[in-house]
Amino acid sequence: MTLADLFSIMPIVITAGAALLVLLTGPLLQAGSSCAIAVAASLAAGLWAASASPANAPVLPGLAFTPLAHFLIPIFCLAAALTLLLSHGYNQRRAIKGEEYPATVLFALFAMCVLPCAGNLLILFLALESIAFAFYILVSIDLNRAESGEAGLKYLLMGAVAAAFIAFGFSLIFAGSGTLALSAALAAPGNRAIVSAGWGLVVIGLAFKLSLVPAHLWTPDVYQGAPAPVAAFLSTISKVAAAAALLMLLAFAPPLSEMRAPLYLLSLFSMVIGNLAALLQKNIKRMLAYSSIAHMGYLTLALLTGSKEGYAAVLLYGAIYTAMNLAAFGAIAALSAAEERQLIADYSGVGFSAPFRGGVLALSMLALAGVPPTAGFIGKFFIFYAAIRGGQTALAVVGMVSAAASAYFYLKVVVHLYMHRPVASSPQNAHPAETAALCCASAAIVVIGVYPAPLMRLVDVVLR
Amino acid sequence: MTFDFPILTLLILLPLCGSLLTLACRRSDLAARRVALFFALAELAVCAWICLASLPAAPAGAPAGFFLFEDAAWIERFGIRYTLGMDGVSLIMVFLTAFISAIAAVVSWKGITERIPLYFALLLALEAGIQGVFLSLDLFLFYLFWEAMLIPMFFLIGIWGHGRRIYSAVKFFLYTFFGSLLMLVAIISLYLMHGAQSGSYTFALGQLIHTSVPYGIGLWLYAAFLFAFAIKFPLFPLHTWLPDAHTDAPTAGSVILASLLLKTGAYALIRFGYPLFPEAARAFTPLLYVSAVIGISYGAWVAFAQEDMKRLVAYSSVSHMGFVALGIAAWSPVALSGALLQMVNHGVTTGALFALVGMLDERTHSRELATYGGVWGKAPVLAFFFLLFCMASAGVPGLNNFVGEFLVLVGTFRVSPAAAAGAFLGIVLTLVYTVRLVQEILFGKEKKPLALADLTLREGGILAVLAVVDVYLGVHPGPLLELMKTPIALLTGGK
Repeated sequence: MTLADLFSIMPIVITAGAALLVLLTGPLLQAGSSCAIAVAASLAAGLWAASASPANAPVLPGLAFTPLAHFLIPIFCLAAALTLLLSHGYNQRRAIKGEEYPATVLFALFAMCVLPCAGNLLILFLALESIAFAFYILVSIDLNRAESGEAGLKYLLMGAVAAAFIAFGFSLIFAGSGTLALSAALAAPGNRAIVSAGWGLVVIGLAFKLSLVPAHLWTPDVYQGAPAPVAAFLSTISKVAAAAALLMLLAFAPPLSEMRAPLYLLSLFSMVIGNLAALLQKNIKRMLAYSSIAHMGYLTLALLTGSKEGYAAVLLYGAIYTAMNLAAFGAIAALSAAEERQLIADYSGVGFSAPFRGGVLALSMLALAGVPPTAGFIGKFFIFYAAIRGGQTALAVVGMVSAAASAYFYLKVVVHLYMHRPVASSPQNAHPAETAALCCASAAIVVIGVYPAPLMRLVDVVLR
Repeated sequence: MTFDFPILTLLILLPLCGSLLTLACRRSDLAARRVALFFALAELAVCAWICLASLPAAPAGAPAGFFLFEDAAWIERFGIRYTLGMDGVSLIMVFLTAFISAIAAVVSWKGITERIPLYFALLLALEAGIQGVFLSLDLFLFYLFWEAMLIPMFFLIGIWGHGRRIYSAVKFFLYTFFGSLLMLVAIISLYLMHGAQSGSYTFALGQLIHTSVPYGIGLWLYAAFLFAFAIKFPLFPLHTWLPDAHTDAPTAGSVILASLLLKTGAYALIRFGYPLFPEAARAFTPLLYVSAVIGISYGAWVAFAQEDMKRLVAYSSVSHMGFVALGIAAWSPVALSGALLQMVNHGVTTGALFALVGMLDERTHSRELATYGGVWGKAPVLAFFFLLFCMASAGVPGLNNFVGEFLVLVGTFRVSPAAAAGAFLGIVLTLVYTVRLVQEILFGKEKKPLALADLTLREGGILAVLAVVDVYLGVHPGPLLELMKTPIALLTGGK
């Protein structure tokens, strides 16, 4: 391995090193300093990845700084930095102490940086499970609240099953094709049945990670119990990472014709059931959980076209969805006191008592509903465009109709923010770090919504 | 002379900047009002300048009939361009928008007492969105503005409305949002079809009209467009959001809804629906006739039964917009110019009626017909304007609505005598509810003792300006008809 090779995987090194550094120096430093180191490390890793030039040649066995990594790692790093900024004030108010929080976030980020670089199934599996492992800790990190531990346990139990599915699937693919390399995972014709069975299991496992119906049942409970910044992190880039894994698997080898029917059903049920269930929710985090199920349904819709346009839509939507959900959960975190505002009704009048944070929450809701000129509209447009172009017009129409219905529950939050009399006390002042993070997320929503051309160019470079 | 200044962009950016500046006036409500009014008037001044300036006939690259045109790359990946254009029809609608928005700002000068900067900021943002709809020539851009203008209106109804304001605001938003999403599917399908045929993927209206759409598919696509436009219009039986939204909106909100938002549906049908799918549009013409004729009579019939003045005027809108639909369905030059004229007339007259109802409401806090009586004796100036606008609304000759309705009926009669005859029945019904309104409010005995002051200078000014426009368009609609002559000839193919 040469120095140049090391440079190209530097983001992985930086995040891993910083995670250890924070863990080691944590007891000596104040909480603010640990957090600052973590933020600086994630930003540095992101900047490095953005400025390095990608190459498909492996640096280490099964590890290459691919164009996909070049696109995704900066997004992961930025999202992790925003999560850390959002959690600092939140953790102080909730009395969540200790350097293990920033260290675990960095560890999750490390695994996420590895994922798009993976060149073989084993690395991919390790990356996926390391992400999940970090999230088991993060979800249950609030030791003072039972629901946090409950959510963590639920996530762990379901996650273990999913991991088993993926591991078994990968081993079947290995048995059928004789190699773990992603680029060579095409089956010899004779062993096609085994490989297809392996694919089926992997899709089930990844459906769990993406929380697609019917593997979605953990999502509302985990989002509800997890601290809001963790839910922000979990609902955005862990989803994007899982989608990227699916994308890598589909893009390289697979018999997509066999995968189309299950993906079709997963997408259909996720869009319809996710949006319908969200209509009934009174708790804002549960509502967002069902909303994320529906959004993953849209993503799957673009994935199953198996076209370049579809994959481009997935990547673009991943980036946009990250910004939208970070803003939504970020605003919830920033508006919380020692306890979070659980119900949608708790946000009554907040749009006027906390104009900035309320405004960000409203903006993110409108973006999730797909109202122009927000980024959410551009994302939806791209998804449905790719779906219609890929011949999935019927499913696209179902998606559109369910998206129209979804406007109702997003609007419900906006209605409470601005049109109801306040019921709870006014929120306290926000921590400057929270304000900065919310500024970044909402600026991304607006800028991508008005001028998405540069981001689209980046996406196209990845898929060239 | 080449004319390079992006004046159409200015028309959109001016209210948008005004909106942001108004929002910044958090300390002083008066400053917010003044800034908002300044920008509304500046917009009006720009429109007036466009009318008066002698612009070169056709800028480079513009489609025929357009005298102002701007075009820039926006999202190259999809061939989406930032294309704005103005022909006679757009100019009329843009002018109407600037005029009514300025009126709306003055109307809400006193009536709005809470969160004033936000209110005026939303008013201006709404204006920017509507101007965008009237100017876009790229289907993607059009869709963007079409949806974006929902947000300010949603807030205006939901925050400053009365009664079941939240229910009405959400109903308004969902209705329109749902219709539009299906239109988005149709837009994308058309885009892909055109791209596959010609190899150039674009959302430009000028190119998409050359797509050869198979008849069966064209019907579906046109249906999606028509559905979205018919909701905004609103055509019977998709009108049910309108009475709620109009009744519960603040006065200026009702004025803008009636005068401008409904017009976007009609305008879009003329600008996009018919040119894109001429065959399918012809196939749907009988449906449009039926819907228009039922709308005219049904709106008038239901208006007659209302006890709430605002609701009454709202249903009268359904009836009047039926005439616009009738004129579009006939699609002959005379009927179409009648429809466009009727759009302006309805905008001015119904806007004035909503403003009047708002003024009465501010004085007595009641919109029930049963409360009023004998207003003529107590507030003669107010009563005079009320009578004038009611007469205009009923289509009395010499006032503006008469000209529009007349042209629509004449134009339609040549194409479809049955539809014209049906619509004529509707006019009779219009008289019935108008007479009832005038009789119960202005004349008769006072039912309850009301402290009813006459108009203030501000209110009198608003109504006087609107009345002058009403009379002027009633006796001299020539300039307007002249403006729309070329575009209509191009649209109807000189039929």
